[in-house]
Amino acid sequence: MQEFFEIATTDFAATFEGAWMLPLLLLSAGLILWKEPDWTRKILLGGLPLAAIFIYWFLPTGMLLMKLLGENIYWRILWLILLAVTIPYALCLLLRRCRGLRRQAAFLLCLVLLALCGTPLLASEEFLDSTNEYKIPQYVIDVCELLPENIHAVVSNRLLPYIRLYDTSITLEYARNAFVFVSLEEGRSDIEKLYLEMQEDEIDLSVLAPLAKSEGCTFIVLSNTRTYIGEWEDNGYTKYASTDEFDIFVDMDYEEGEDTRKWID
Amino acid sequence: MRLEILQTSLLFFGGTCLSGYAVRRLLKLEKEGILFSVALGAFCWWALMELILVPMTMRLASFSSFTVIYSVAVAIFALAGLFCWRDILDDLRKFAGNWRQYLTLGHLAALLLIVFELWFIHHHMYLEWDDTYYVNLANEAVSSDKIYWVYPETGAQADFDKRYVLSLWPIFYAWLSRLIGVVPTVMAHMIMPWLMIPLAYVVYVLIGRRLFEDDVQLQGMFLAFAVLIHLFMSGEHTTGLTFLAITPWVGKGVLAAIIVPALFYWILRAAHDNGAGNWILLGITGLGGCLTSSVGILLAPLFIGLSVFLLSLQKRQIRYLAYGILSCLPCILLGLYYIRLTH
Repeated sequence: MQEFFEIATTDFAATFEGAWMLPLLLLSAGLILWKEPDWTRKILLGGLPLAAIFIYWFLPTGMLLMKLLGENIYWRILWLILLAVTIPYALCLLLRRCRGLRRQAAFLLCLVLLALCGTPLLASEEFLDSTNEYKIPQYVIDVCELLPENIHAVVSNRLLPYIRLYDTSITLEYARNAFVFVSLEEGRSDIEKLYLEMQEDEIDLSVLAPLAKSEGCTFIVLSNTRTYIGEWEDNGYTKYASTDEFDIFVDMDYEEGEDTRKWID
Repeated sequence: MRLEILQTSLLFFGGTCLSGYAVRRLLKLEKEGILFSVALGAFCWWALMELILVPMTMRLASFSSFTVIYSVAVAIFALAGLFCWRDILDDLRKFAGNWRQYLTLGHLAALLLIVFELWFIHHHMYLEWDDTYYVNLANEAVSSDKIYWVYPETGAQADFDKRYVLSLWPIFYAWLSRLIGVVPTVMAHMIMPWLMIPLAYVVYVLIGRRLFEDDVQLQGMFLAFAVLIHLFMSGEHTTGLTFLAITPWVGKGVLAAIIVPALFYWILRAAHDNGAGNWILLGITGLGGCLTSSVGILLAPLFIGLSVFLLSLQKRQIRYLAYGILSCLPCILLGLYYIRLTH
């Protein structure tokens, strides 16, 4: 029970933090319940959001829904609250009383108030200027344009999420599924050892290269800030190309145009 | 890219509009306007896709065969709409006669905000990590011709991830990609916002019209408030509405920002007009919601159930609950199948 309330509280706070949307919602629902003359609207516009909040917090329904949905995404129950219907309707209920210029002025005032109560999403730091039609980081495209098609690679974490968005003919040794290995002190399987070695600032090539080779990684892409113990050529790889931010290494046994993709029928 | 955006918009909005007219004729829903047909057609397309895609996925059909079958089904739907040309002309004539009444401050503000949102999203990128799974699912479908039996993040051959197998929304834009001839990454990031953002606000236009039938000014103001809330919302990445402003191609965003408000719209209509059409459309929209996200399989019936329960209590009539449950049947059946698959 305590765990349920901890998760519910964290998710609820994350959903409404940084803005005044929750008080605004509660005020709006209250206003609709108080002022709306039509009982059906009163229930659907004022009662329904409160009912959704109730089933979110009410222990029996909450526990059941958490079990069905999973703890990680329990917050999605809050999507049932139609903020963009309830709040605008309540504001329009207020505006309905005004006519002419007073209504227009009140409308503009409400727009400003709404904007002040929320967080401007489009001002998020996560938005970056788009430099290409794929809308992925330019450094990914720079690397992909140097890599040949139909190859198997192990790449820097910065490239992992995006590289196949540009070229699906590249197969990867691991993707986000490997991020769980970061908590390991020592790798047990080859893929764990490979991942952990790839994260080192100073990479021991006598460890990395044999692991990459045994997993069939014909290409290795690493940030050019990395330093190495040993020489690539002594370990079966050689430098293939570079971009501003990454160095690409290739298995010396690779022949240009060869299909080295893993797992392909 | 402008040409591709235009082509896809024409295909999507033209096709859904015509399909919507065909369904309206079947369900005897007259005098509802063009936007109603667009929204209705889109939900029918998605429900139809769910009906075709789930069995084809389970039978390991190729993406090409899905493209052919779904395209033919959608084309039949849209062609049927052409037979409703009288209704279309009526609506166009009506709009041509009335468009001046929509020149209100509210409509103008809403339009400006929507145009700004589209412009901003078109010129910026938002790096969504989940794209490496979902958008690559679409990329793999197009490049390998397999529906969901390649692990999209690495390209490894893999068994289905059964949590998502009933909700393959990326296949929808993979299908659009195949028809238009762009790669799914470009379709998702560059073109889908031009489809999903307007469609979401069409739903709010319809809700506003229903709520303020006799006051066009308030319809515009309602819409402007709704758009503004989407742009100034809290809880980036947790509140459903935020997905529309940041990643409108994501299935869960479509569920939260389009499907759930649309369910509300049908319930609002059904509350005042208990005709079978509204309940059928509620069921169709719920089924479309199952395509967008696996969470939709639970959230759609939960939302419908909660709403009709309150409605039944208020009206003291059990039939609202009964019709609501009936309209949830497709979702409930999918839910049972989901449980069977995952346990």
